Amino acid sequence: MPIITLEGLGYRYPEAEGPTLVDVSAAIEPGQVILLRGPSGSGKSTLLRCLNGLVPHSTGGEFRGRVIVCGLDTRAHAPRELGAHIGFVFQHPDAQFVLEDVEAELAFGMENLGLPLPLMRKRVEEVIDQVGINHLRRRRIDTLSGGERQRVAIAAALAVHPQALVLDEPTSQLDPQAAEDVLQVVMRLVAELGMTTVIAEHRVERIAPLVDRIWTLDAGVLKDQPPRTALAEGGARPPVVDLALRAGWSPIPLGLRDARVYTQRLPTPPPYPPPQAGEGNFHDAGWGQVICRVENLEYRYDGVPAVRGLSLSLGRGQVTALMGRNGSGKTTLLKLIAGLLRPQRGTVQANARAAYVPQDADTLLFASTVEEELRGQPPEVMAPFHAWLRRYPRDLSSGERQQLAIAVVAAQADLLLLDEPTRGLDPQVKQALSAFLRMRAAAGAAIAIATHDVEWAARTADRVLLMAEGEIYADGLPAAVLSDSLVFATQISKLVGGGWLLPDEVPV
Amino acid sequence: MIRHPLAWCSWATAALAAAFIDRNPFLQALLLLVIINVFIPYGAGRQSRIWKVGLALAVVPIIFSVALSRFGTHVLITLPGIPIIGGRWTVDAAVFGASTGAALLLTVAVFTVLQTTVRSADLVAILPRPFYRAGTTVALALAFAPKTVASLQSIREARQLRGQRAGWRSAPQLLLPLLLTTLEGALQYGESLDARGFGSRRRSRYRPVPWRLADLLIVAGSGAAVAAILLMPPQPYNPYLDLVPDVPTVPSLLALLLLAMPALIAGLSRMDHADHHA
Repeated sequence: MPIITLEGLGYRYPEAEGPTLVDVSAAIEPGQVILLRGPSGSGKSTLLRCLNGLVPHSTGGEFRGRVIVCGLDTRAHAPRELGAHIGFVFQHPDAQFVLEDVEAELAFGMENLGLPLPLMRKRVEEVIDQVGINHLRRRRIDTLSGGERQRVAIAAALAVHPQALVLDEPTSQLDPQAAEDVLQVVMRLVAELGMTTVIAEHRVERIAPLVDRIWTLDAGVLKDQPPRTALAEGGARPPVVDLALRAGWSPIPLGLRDARVYTQRLPTPPPYPPPQAGEGNFHDAGWGQVICRVENLEYRYDGVPAVRGLSLSLGRGQVTALMGRNGSGKTTLLKLIAGLLRPQRGTVQANARAAYVPQDADTLLFASTVEEELRGQPPEVMAPFHAWLRRYPRDLSSGERQQLAIAVVAAQADLLLLDEPTRGLDPQVKQALSAFLRMRAAAGAAIAIATHDVEWAARTADRVLLMAEGEIYADGLPAAVLSDSLVFATQISKLVGGGWLLPDEVPV
Repeated sequence: MIRHPLAWCSWATAALAAAFIDRNPFLQALLLLVIINVFIPYGAGRQSRIWKVGLALAVVPIIFSVALSRFGTHVLITLPGIPIIGGRWTVDAAVFGASTGAALLLTVAVFTVLQTTVRSADLVAILPRPFYRAGTTVALALAFAPKTVASLQSIREARQLRGQRAGWRSAPQLLLPLLLTTLEGALQYGESLDARGFGSRRRSRYRPVPWRLADLLIVAGSGAAVAAILLMPPQPYNPYLDLVPDVPTVPSLLALLLLAMPALIAGLSRMDHADHHA
């Protein structure tokens, strides 16, 4: 018997013009893992909120059809009753906690169920081990990083022993290492506990090999398909699937391991050029006029060096990706170039106005309409936003907000500095962002992007810098720097090696 | 080391009473030392940045008092006839402002101790059952305060990025975005509470904080301190009458000593611990 059944589910938000969900019917069997995907704004969050009754109980609006969760009709049972059956993990790591410290937080759901103390003790110890957060148990929530918070949120959801776990883009606000840690936890729960899981997630390449069904939402209409059919049809999919479709491999491999068997059929990849050593001397290789020059830059936070004796030039028409682990100095370098931090030693010379877009671009938008945000901008900047001029900026989807923030801060700048711009964006929006940046570069802007997104960097940048400990340790063409790397290799480069980074570069 | 929230509440009440009833500078300095000594063992190495706010609060009354008050006999300088601030500036007024400022600083210090030692979850738990929902709402509101400060910070940074002024004059324009951010956070909070079964009839407690002898000692000490201050009130310090403060009376000193009780207990229990290990 299915754990969750959706029957002819339709939903419209109060005062919305059109419906958000249209006639959705599907069922989730015990132990199934469901990947929910779809462009931003397609109704993913709304659908997930239907599973624990937040829609319609806390949102109001027009609700059709019915949702049965563990035999309970969500129209008749409030979210707080369904909370015992469905563990829910929200997108934003900071807004879902109620109490101050980790252990109290883990117990909160069980306290609300009125479980006896000995049982609570036992379950707290168990989820701590299951999720691997023993080192965090005495910490206060406000001292945890985003990734640690999401793991605590998963543990807290797990502690009430729900029949299913629902995760609403749990990694979209996290940097890639933290996202990886959170997905590891989810995958372990699936593998070891056979946890019934519904997850909305953009990092399809990590999760695809595990899933039983893929639900694709488009404008409120749901398609429930087996993974291979869904991935072949389009939407967000891993690079190996792209390659497999072009090469006609069948059955389609969902991950690197399945794909290995097909690789003998491919031609030998070209050798890759060796990357140059640090020091940022790459601009000599025929780039345009230098727009920004940084020499012997040093910066410390409370005595801890973040950028150490770094030199670098950024040329017109160049898109440079800065990569490296968290704390390697990427953000500090961008802020120094932008003039938001003052170098403690060394110089920054820029011949153009620098514009910096921070990680959390949301904070840049405050006006009550998009039009007001764009006031004073020239018509060519306003043009792409024509359809939404009257809308409230914070109601836009995350991708749309990102686009607007860049337009507001940086559309006219010749030196564009972006910090993790692809965080939480769906593939279509990422592609649009890539195209926009290439266009700005073609118009003579110099662009530097701190990013962890290897696939997107390979597609967008024409120069890659790797940073560690505040220094640049590799500098060169993407094909040179990103191939032959354990950490910063694209999926295709891991599969075939050599200088091919993207599926469309491989001749098949 | 966790003490019962009731013990902390009674300690804080007594400390606030001591800070406001007598503004003798000797006593104020001693009280500050006592509070710092209580904070150190219970703060568990956490650094508090809030003392900057306390210092700022302490300076404001000095400026106001010295610039606006015309009382006092020890003239510092005499300003020519500028409206409002012109006239005699006196040492007496400066000292009066300083003692008010010190009382504010002490208040901030007491609340800093309270905030680090008492978890809102425990505070909610000791409330009688009918107040449970209201109590949790208050606890949530308290948890929101530091988040609001954080979002104010990010909003100011964002305005800077957009080339707008970030000085104090822009404060009114920051208010609306701040309100929006806080409201959005509150909505998300509500959803999370709902999804996790908050407000059901049944309710149990995970690891309630036990009531120990030490808690009783703290409550008794705080009660005795308040009694000493109220029953044997010292001559209040007034710089306009006499710039030189009196030597503190024995009951006042005793009261401060009693307020140091949490620090004493922390010290003793550490010695116990050391014995065990030896």
